[in-house]
Amino acid sequence: MTIEAVSIDVEIDGKLLLANASLEIVPGEILALVGPNGAGKSTLLRTLAGDLKPTSGNVFYDSRNLNQLSVRERAIPRSVMSQTQPMIFDFTAREVLQMGWLHADHNYYNEYFESAVDNLACACEIEQLMEQKFNTLSGGEQKFIHFARSLLQLWAPDDLKDNRYLLLDEPVAGLDMGRELHMLNVIKEHAKYMGVLIILHDLNLVARFADSVLLLEEGQILKAGPPHAVFTEHIISNVYKVPVMITQDPLTIRYY
Amino acid sequence: MFRQKDQVVIIRFLFLSVILGAMTASAVGSFSIPAIDLLSGSLTELQRTVWIEIRLPRVILSGLVGASLGLSGAALQGLFRNPLADPGLIGVSAGAALGAAVVIVLTSDLFIPSSLELFLLPMAGIIGASMVTLLLFIFSKGFGYQGVTYLLLIGIAVNAIASVGIGILTYISTDSELRSLTFWTMGSFGGVTWSVLMPAMFLMILSFFFMLPARRTLDILQLGEIEAYRLGVDVKKVKYRVIFSSAAAVGASVAISGMIGFVGLVVPHLARLIGGVNHNYLLPASAALGAFIMISADVLARMVMQPAELPIGLITSAIGSPFFLWLIFRMKKRDY
Repeated sequence: MTIEAVSIDVEIDGKLLLANASLEIVPGEILALVGPNGAGKSTLLRTLAGDLKPTSGNVFYDSRNLNQLSVRERAIPRSVMSQTQPMIFDFTAREVLQMGWLHADHNYYNEYFESAVDNLACACEIEQLMEQKFNTLSGGEQKFIHFARSLLQLWAPDDLKDNRYLLLDEPVAGLDMGRELHMLNVIKEHAKYMGVLIILHDLNLVARFADSVLLLEEGQILKAGPPHAVFTEHIISNVYKVPVMITQDPLTIRYY
Repeated sequence: MFRQKDQVVIIRFLFLSVILGAMTASAVGSFSIPAIDLLSGSLTELQRTVWIEIRLPRVILSGLVGASLGLSGAALQGLFRNPLADPGLIGVSAGAALGAAVVIVLTSDLFIPSSLELFLLPMAGIIGASMVTLLLFIFSKGFGYQGVTYLLLIGIAVNAIASVGIGILTYISTDSELRSLTFWTMGSFGGVTWSVLMPAMFLMILSFFFMLPARRTLDILQLGEIEAYRLGVDVKKVKYRVIFSSAAAVGASVAISGMIGFVGLVVPHLARLIGGVNHNYLLPASAALGAFIMISADVLARMVMQPAELPIGLITSAIGSPFFLWLIFRMKKRDY
């Protein structure tokens, strides 16, 4: 059971943004989407999220065609984190985080609500920000709140074994080094039981955290596979037009 | 910050104030009805008639209109993600006024059964208000941040169009129609009777109940439409729910009490200052606060120049317009 894209094309205003792309997001794995600017990474993610309808091809959530799922049915198994618009009114960080709770309209899971929120706040180390106004937080802090919100959206009771998927569009952009690693560690932790698709620009981080990589160039999937197979000096310097050297670093991180 | 428990207390307090305010308001006026007599039930025949036939409908109307404007203002600000959205400023009230003016002037020559006629005025107001709100939504789509100013500019245009329409209608109206037209562009709760109040009251209360379920989704909408979709919110449904229920509330109130400006702008901001911004709190709080403020303003309108009356719209605009300026000033500092 996976999120699966089967040969999707996306064409907007006569421009082919994505051609014949297929991929699979598997629970328990982190799939990284890499490629130069304008390669179609965000387009692919948005198509998988259901924001965009593919011109041809299909997206399946656990073998069910995305077209046939209601907005609500899409929201339960997958959440998305991407660039967000600023908040107009002075919501507190806690209120923003709580917007990720999908079970507010029924009461089955009320007893878990507080602890689910608190656990995520703890994992993301944002407890001390919770009562502050969201708009007064720094960009990086706001990112963490949104990140926690998208995790809260995927909350499920322990006895429910349904699949969960997390789609992340450059979640670490603008974070400092420490925060960057922190967020990726939280993602890694959650990836034990959910499928993760992540767009990252830093190939070092990809090499360190991703289980597999999808390299996009001009709307086409150029190469897919585990990081060491995709990241060869030849491929990377061709795609990014910069000379690179790949070495093994002391922490077994691949460097280019 | 404000916890949910505090917010519940605030809402209770506001509703209590509305009830106390309504009782006080129905007691004071140029014809005095002592509150003690009112409570003990020892009213004279005349006092009872004045209370039931004149005071009570008026107080109820002012409360309902205040609640309508406060609630719609809060919901529209949330829907448009725009702190300056106000049914008056963005032209919704003007649309309602135009709709109602058409009915006042054009239908007096037609024969319409009186029971239907009482519904006709609020319905015309609602249709006018819905058309403007829909128009606003179509026009302001995809304007993102510029939307804040853009919406107000559309409001100016809509207000101008509506005043042209009303101007033409004034021209072709008879004397008696004219009097009800002018009286009502300034807004007033005077002379309301149960038979006029009932249909509008029904429509307003209906719209409140239709609006309230949108409160959580209005919160989520603050993340932006795409985010709301991703969180499983059927955005289109929420939009229509908010647009039509606010149009119904505003349309019905404008149709019978005229254009009362700035309440929809000021009340939600006050409510946010008192207890927070989440719509679960904000919607009921704005309704209650709007009702309380409107009832008080109407008492003021009746008392200041006794036995004459100030138009209520004059009072609310006098208080509201400086507030509007302050809000713009504050927004400029925040650099939206």
